[in-house]
Amino acid sequence: MIRHLKAYFIFCVVLLAAMGCAPKSYVVLMENADGTVGQLAVTNAEGDVLLNKPRTGVDLDGKAGKPYTVDENRIQRDFGEAIAAQPPLPVSFMLYYEAGGTVLTDESKALIPAIIEAARHHPAPDVSVIGHTDTLGDSEANEKLGIERAQAAAEIIRSAGLQVIDWTIASHGERNLLIPTPDEMAEPKNRRVEITVR
Amino acid sequence: MLMALWPAWAQETIGFVKTVTGKAAVTDAGKLIDAQVGTPIKMGNILKTGPQATMGVTFKDNTVMSFGPDTEITVDEYLYAPGKGDLKFSTSMAKGSMQVVSGVIAKLKPQAVTVKTQGGLIGCRGTRFLVKVEP
Repeated sequence: MIRHLKAYFIFCVVLLAAMGCAPKSYVVLMENADGTVGQLAVTNAEGDVLLNKPRTGVDLDGKAGKPYTVDENRIQRDFGEAIAAQPPLPVSFMLYYEAGGTVLTDESKALIPAIIEAARHHPAPDVSVIGHTDTLGDSEANEKLGIERAQAAAEIIRSAGLQVIDWTIASHGERNLLIPTPDEMAEPKNRRVEITVR
Repeated sequence: MLMALWPAWAQETIGFVKTVTGKAAVTDAGKLIDAQVGTPIKMGNILKTGPQATMGVTFKDNTVMSFGPDTEITVDEYLYAPGKGDLKFSTSMAKGSMQVVSGVIAKLKPQAVTVKTQGGLIGCRGTRFLVKVEP
């Protein structure tokens, strides 16, 4: 009898311990790759909880819980595999052009190998190429010049023999200035193509 | 009119599978597809990893999501037209583990990126975060 009670007692302790460290649902705010930190808001029936310190978490159990620190061991145990599965982060490059055409500046020409190298390191890369112009000339002609620049830039990458899975090629003409200027103004920094390798 | 537009809109690719280990799947309009590097993702898709599998997806707005084993996520809504101000990225997570690195949508419109779980709605203001759901 005593033995049975003892076994029952041990069973209860083990069960409670298991419940206490039972895996639960929660969210953790993490620092970005560049060191910056954003915010998370967790909303449920009991209200809002704001997370704004890296490596703090809150339970997702429907209650308005208190944020707590999540240590590296727990992060690795619960998220190690998800973190390891992260694809390479998208990278963007800016190419600049001589006035009025699709001739790259010398500095920008020198960037091409880095772009091709980036695409080589992205699995199944999908690439977007957006052409821009300055405000010199009429806006319709600049829409066309923007797309010509984007196409020429895409062709450079294509000719390197990369297996790009998807292309987005578009022109923003003079509608999306990097350096705001009045109309009819030459601005080298606005004559550009933005390439993103995902 | 809306019905006529539905199919084209529903089939737009919003991202691609970039990493897979083990057995992972994408359910598109009720059809189960084995996930491979390069598999396209569309709005409404369900993303699943098996008991020993992982998967990583990069979306058009540069959001990067990756999933640990035994995970299930649904892409409920994805709108990415910055020129028109249409920005939204909402997902539901039924179970598993996930890392999210937020992209352009979260940058342009705070609170437009959400993850719904049974125990609460997560709103993301430009950051990396981790979610674990035990149903």
